[in-house]
Amino acid sequence: MELEEMQNAWNSLSQRAEKQDVLSNKLLAKVTQHRYHSKLNKIRYAEFAGTLVCYAGAAYVSVHLTQIEATYLQVMARLSVALLLGLPILSLASVRAMQRVPLSSATHLETINHFVRQKMMFQKLQKLNVCFGLLLMLLCLPVLAAIQGKDLTQVPDFWTGIFPLFVLVVLAFAYWVLKSYNKALNAMENTLSDMNN
Amino acid sequence: MNRKDQFTQVIKENKGLIFKVAALYTNTIQDRNDLYQEIVYQLWKSFGSFNQQSKLSTWLYRVALNTAIYHLKQSKRRVDTIPLDLEADRFSEEHDRTEEERIQLLYAQIQQLNLLERGIILLYLEGKSYEEIAAIIGITASNVGTRISRIKEKLRTQITKKQAVWN
Repeated sequence: MELEEMQNAWNSLSQRAEKQDVLSNKLLAKVTQHRYHSKLNKIRYAEFAGTLVCYAGAAYVSVHLTQIEATYLQVMARLSVALLLGLPILSLASVRAMQRVPLSSATHLETINHFVRQKMMFQKLQKLNVCFGLLLMLLCLPVLAAIQGKDLTQVPDFWTGIFPLFVLVVLAFAYWVLKSYNKALNAMENTLSDMNN
Repeated sequence: MNRKDQFTQVIKENKGLIFKVAALYTNTIQDRNDLYQEIVYQLWKSFGSFNQQSKLSTWLYRVALNTAIYHLKQSKRRVDTIPLDLEADRFSEEHDRTEEERIQLLYAQIQQLNLLERGIILLYLEGKSYEEIAAIIGITASNVGTRISRIKEKLRTQITKKQAVWN
């Protein structure tokens, strides 16, 4: 396909686009009467819901803290509470990192640069989130068992077999997730340098 | 004419432009329609602050293209997209097969370009001058020329490869 053909194909597409019926008076009325809700905020709602779940978890562990007798479990429980309170802050910081530049005044290049940089920041914060999240899983297991009144030391091979195996699975998962994030980050860095050259 | 009527008229006159931007940055009909609505919404939001210093089309393209970038994180959360279904079945009665394939091919190849290249080639194919492309994108007019030559070459290579596979 030569450039002239590309132009012809585009012109043909333009004619079709004019005939599209995506736009309706209903949409225009909705938008101009402020009844339309931007979908760009969807991610924020999910993060707020996650925050509520974490804080509920922190409250649950805090309330039952006195039921935990062993000192090492007490330490684990306090660490869990700290993580449950801290992780949402990290998540919300990630979302904040994705805030938009003014769409009408910024040039397209500024917007793309901002978007890619913020997305990279988001990915880095998410990497941290994954690491702390996995640590939280490890801590929560014995803590929740203690709150339920179950003594994990009584479970055969718990500390010598089950727990180390669980740690290994968690580490393998963390490795896989972080590798994916790193791959995505590298791709974004390449895009950025490609665009600015 | 009040502000709402003015806006409605602007949008109706430029619905094809918005449709093309929405289609180029999405890969499903649902996503495309969502982006279309989002662009109209963002245009309405900034319609009040639009000053006549810049051209209406510059403002329209800028808001549409910038909104499309932020929509990427909502849809597939990825920078690259796959070729789009252009509702071929709806058009097949009206247009011949060759033209359909040509549009599909061009679209698929443009979607393989990076975000900046995609924006530039869209404006170029829309027949915008280098100066206007420069104002929308935020680079110099001479840089626009250089980049367009590079993109054309890239597209030509991509399309030749694709056609070689088909033949």
